[in-house]
Amino acid sequence: MASVELRGVRKAYGRMVVADGIDLRISHGELVCLLGPSGCGKTTTLRLIAGFIVPDAGEILVGDQRLSGPGKALPPEQRNMSMIFQSYALWPHLTVAENVAYGLTLRRLPKAEIARKVTAMLAVAKLSPLADRHPGELSGGQQQRVALARALAVEPETLLLDEPLSNLDTNLREEMRFEIRRLHDEFRYTTVYVTHDQLEAMTAADRIVVMQHGRIEQIGTPEDIFLRPVSEFVARFIGGTNILRGAATGDMIQSGPLRVQWGRGETGGLPEAAISIRPHEVEVTAAPQHGANCFPATVLRHTFTGSLRDYLLDLGADIQIRATTALDQHFAQGDSIGVRLPPQHCRALAR
Amino acid sequence: MTRRDPSVLLFAAVALVLLLLVTLPIAWLAWYSVTDADNHLTSANFLRLVTDPAMRKPLIVTLRIAVFSALGACTVAVPLAWLCARTDLPLRGAIRALVTASFVTPPFLGAVAWELLAAPNSGILNQWARPLLGLDDYDYVFDIYTETGLSFCIACYAFPYVFTVLANALDNMPADLDDASHILGAGAFTTLRRITLPLVLPAMLAGTLVAFLQALTLFGTPAILALPSGFHTLTTKIWSLFQVPPQPHLAAAAALPMLLVTLAVLQLQRFLLGRRSDVLVGGKNNPPRRIRLRHWRLPALALCLFIMLFPIFLPYGALLKAAIVRNISDPLSWATISASHLHFILWEFSGTRDAMVNTLLLGLASASFVTFMALVVGYLAHRQLVPGHRFLPILAMAPIAVPGIVMGVGLFLVYTRPPFLLYGTLGILFLAFVTLEMPAGFQQMQAAMRGLHVELEEASRIFGATRLQALCQITAPLLRTTIIATWSIVFIGVIRELSATIMLTTENTRVISVVIYDLNESGELGALSVLGLFLLVVTFAIVLLVNKLPILGGRGLR
Repeated sequence: MASVELRGVRKAYGRMVVADGIDLRISHGELVCLLGPSGCGKTTTLRLIAGFIVPDAGEILVGDQRLSGPGKALPPEQRNMSMIFQSYALWPHLTVAENVAYGLTLRRLPKAEIARKVTAMLAVAKLSPLADRHPGELSGGQQQRVALARALAVEPETLLLDEPLSNLDTNLREEMRFEIRRLHDEFRYTTVYVTHDQLEAMTAADRIVVMQHGRIEQIGTPEDIFLRPVSEFVARFIGGTNILRGAATGDMIQSGPLRVQWGRGETGGLPEAAISIRPHEVEVTAAPQHGANCFPATVLRHTFTGSLRDYLLDLGADIQIRATTALDQHFAQGDSIGVRLPPQHCRALAR
Repeated sequence: MTRRDPSVLLFAAVALVLLLLVTLPIAWLAWYSVTDADNHLTSANFLRLVTDPAMRKPLIVTLRIAVFSALGACTVAVPLAWLCARTDLPLRGAIRALVTASFVTPPFLGAVAWELLAAPNSGILNQWARPLLGLDDYDYVFDIYTETGLSFCIACYAFPYVFTVLANALDNMPADLDDASHILGAGAFTTLRRITLPLVLPAMLAGTLVAFLQALTLFGTPAILALPSGFHTLTTKIWSLFQVPPQPHLAAAAALPMLLVTLAVLQLQRFLLGRRSDVLVGGKNNPPRRIRLRHWRLPALALCLFIMLFPIFLPYGALLKAAIVRNISDPLSWATISASHLHFILWEFSGTRDAMVNTLLLGLASASFVTFMALVVGYLAHRQLVPGHRFLPILAMAPIAVPGIVMGVGLFLVYTRPPFLLYGTLGILFLAFVTLEMPAGFQQMQAAMRGLHVELEEASRIFGATRLQALCQITAPLLRTTIIATWSIVFIGVIRELSATIMLTTENTRVISVVIYDLNESGELGALSVLGLFLLVVTFAIVLLVNKLPILGGRGLR
């Protein structure tokens, strides 16, 4: 069975290290998202798996076959993979049907079988009426589906997706997110999906790999990553959060004048610690309250976002946090109010 | 697990060929310039260059001519380019086509045509002017055999260099830049003066520098217009040093400064254009909004057509007339029209057929070889396939700094001695053309490769195509138009080359451009005109073909 495994994979261009010891195992039939800001090394990792880039150190295995090692790599065409490119890379001189048939022709399948598979694939991707068009005549969404059909037609062991939705407009992107997941549930190829959009990753992935500076920050299910971030970077990058820093003692930190108790996570035993609380977990009340993690606050900014109200609050001593509330909690700029940071939502971060 | 990549071998071969093509002639040139006939090191050659008046004068004349013709070219090209690129001038397309026609007209042919027009006695323009101005038979108004005449004639065929660079910059300048100036309250003229012109100034200077280089390194025009009245330019002087008794060492020393000036000017040009792209890149490119000329439309068109009189209408008319009248001095009438020149060129003159065969052979071979090399070098460099890929484009572009006459001298020095005895064969001309045309071919190919997303080919790899299959099935078909265009450009370049050819040709290896030059020497202007027009027809046919190439069936390369 075709699992994909990266062991200590490293790649540098001159002094710039773009993949710095990547260890990752992707089980057969699993869909894993590589998620991170641009320049984090996620696309490099994907292209290392595809064989376009040769690693400097480490190795890449598919099943129990070693495909890449230091300084050498099986060429992409011998890996039985397929890929969807950010630019789609549809060949402008071939029709939609010819694009989809390309990989099958290279595999020397009988003509009748190629025709049958292409027809079936075009039907799945809802492209049948467009079979004889050229890519230049299609809309962005249609081109995207051709790229998908072309990639799936060869029934690859491994499917690689490089920011496949980043060129689509918002509505189409949402539709295609679910479509990719649906097709994955249907075909169950081992899939590596690169994106910088956390919603895409959340919707599509079995597991998410958050990357930064060529390293893996955290690997986990979407729930893991969102509810149990291990680092400040992950907490900020996934969902956005408030970070409070200060001297740690037991389950408390002292951040400026604020003494904050935390109920989850771990500090990593350092004297300085950071805790994270997401904006929707902050409780806001009209009058200041008393008790643990209760503080007076001033409204600096109020934004109406449609389904929520988004407040920027000043807790004194240059500490500002964001809080989102239901629509019925309406305060004006300058109002003095109270906030509570429920300890069970305050999460200590090891990094 | 991995096989040895055969592309490394290919790279080594290509790099070696490029390296030998350029360095061998230049190295010999440098060596000759610092030695004497007995192979002793000496600085005498360079000393003679600056002390001997016979050498110094051509140097000064050449610089003067180059400056004046470049300025002239710029003066004409700026309004023309602005009108064509930025205004609603009628017949813009036709004007651009006429500029292209001047671009591809071999300068030596233009020079001959201007002899027909403005020679002091027989010149058509002088014949017209005499009755108009009441002059005597031997008075004249125009004399093309002067420095002024020579500068004028060079400018006629150098101005397209400025025009092309400038019109291109104006075409690509986003309309927003102009619009932003208008919205802040500037009128059309203020915008032109404060925004448009300063933005394209570097392009203008860069184009003018190219025209300057052309004027500096041209052989044909000065050979035809300066030699009869007894003065030399640097190129004709170098050529004359190879006549009896040959003085190759002095010639090498005279050729070297030309190479250095060319290098310096190209560096300056790159600097100017590099700055320009910083300014103009960025933002969405809306096509420029055209300035409405209103009642100036017809005067502007008249100006453009008037300008085109000099490189196109008058010379072509003169060539046509000379080709069809029996004697060169005959007026044009039914009685004087004759096919005798056509008959002479096609059937009687033995040189024609050999020259045509040679030209065709050289054109085909050089165009095919350069296209192949440009494709391979472009591919290796762009895909960064092999170690040292960064140096390949530099090698391929290096000959751009070598003027034709300098390359001619260099090749002559290398290939007249063992182990490479190529002088007197078509092989030496092939080497010259391949080297001289390599940069033009490579530039074409490189631009197209840049426009081709690397993922198009990677996609084919990941679906199971080997590198070679990907190249044949995806990249080559997508580059088809560029390959044809590159081939054609090199072919045109070859059939019009004279500067290097004149140094390397012999009785058995004459080509059409040399035959035209010789016919001018022997005064057979009628026959020359027939051959020249034939050359022009072939050239225009190729240009038209290239322009008509379907861009992949219009199916939108994105």
